[in-house]
Amino acid sequence: MTRLTDLPPAQAKRLAELECPAFDTRPFVSGPPLLRRRVGIVSSAGLVVRGESPLRGRDPDYRAIPAATRPAELLTSHISINFDRTGFQEDWNVVFPLDRLIELAAEGTIGSLAATHYSFMGATDPVEMEPHARELAGRLKQDSVDAVILSPV
Amino acid sequence: MSALGHYLEEEGIATVAISLIRPQTENTKPPRALWVPFELGRPFGPPSAAAFQRRVMLAALRLLERTDGPVLIEDFPEDDPRVRPDPGWRPPPLPMAGPTLADRLAEEIDALQGSHARWMARRGRTTIGLSGLDMPEIGRYVSAWLSGTAPASPREGYSAILALRFAVDDLKAYYLEAAACDGAPSSRQLGDWLWNDTAAGTAVIALRAFGLASDDDRLKAVLGNFMVPAVRVAMMGLSTG
Repeated sequence: MTRLTDLPPAQAKRLAELECPAFDTRPFVSGPPLLRRRVGIVSSAGLVVRGESPLRGRDPDYRAIPAATRPAELLTSHISINFDRTGFQEDWNVVFPLDRLIELAAEGTIGSLAATHYSFMGATDPVEMEPHARELAGRLKQDSVDAVILSPV
Repeated sequence: MSALGHYLEEEGIATVAISLIRPQTENTKPPRALWVPFELGRPFGPPSAAAFQRRVMLAALRLLERTDGPVLIEDFPEDDPRVRPDPGWRPPPLPMAGPTLADRLAEEIDALQGSHARWMARRGRTTIGLSGLDMPEIGRYVSAWLSGTAPASPREGYSAILALRFAVDDLKAYYLEAAACDGAPSSRQLGDWLWNDTAAGTAVIALRAFGLASDDDRLKAVLGNFMVPAVRVAMMGLSTG
């Protein structure tokens, strides 16, 4: 098990106290049972489909990952080196659990799968991501997505 | 991640976040989060463990059906079994050391080809590819930096420093994938081998030292912060600048 106590003290303190915008609202969107939900993945692993432009530094925008993407096509361009990559190297589902969602959709536990999934660069200031995240919400709605699983690294 | 969830929820889309750092999640108060006791980089737990990953996924998705929010933070109860070392794992053999670090690096890259081919046959994928360079080119580019002056970028559209960062990411991926061609090594086993036993580890540590000693602030920041993981800097007692 890896917990903050397993990390160098300076890194643990920085992660635990990472600044996040103070929000005035506490949105909490409800929806139908899982078996009628359309589920998408939004990752912060700096994922990029091979051949597309990697996320650089602290880019605030995102990359699209079509549901037809195969494991051999997905890379991570995250700037941080302070997380394990060997799990993702062996099995993309560790970070991008598309196969698990496909299985849950096939057995009827969830309604369906988004046509496209997305990734940001998690090292970016969230305030700079905001306009891109709100624009992404429009794309997700166009795809009838009503549930998003947020996958960090 | 919590901020992204907030923005999406404000736009009317329900979210559930995997949390790897519980204090951070408690601080940011997302609508729904499942804290998992896994190492950073493994939000859904162990690789090649579909049943385990499915339990994580379902535990997270079930939070979407709860109505007693906002701010639901649940804990996933299982640990990642792959943090345990594989006692049968052995790293791939490395060649006898050449006269210089550049020689050693080139020889290792060549010697690991067979192991990496076995990895490809076993896993059907590689995460190498950010730099757009092949492995011998990556070895030469890293070695050129170690000669003491910044070489020109080998890739149009990438600065020399960005090309180096991506080349080093690819170099690490090549070694770690090659080393995991057999068995089920833990990330710690793989990291110990890379950083303690290989010319690649030595070269990347030297790049970090080169950056930290530079008068160029960008070089100092990129090579100082994005070459050697903080946990290795601490374990190896490396200078922090």
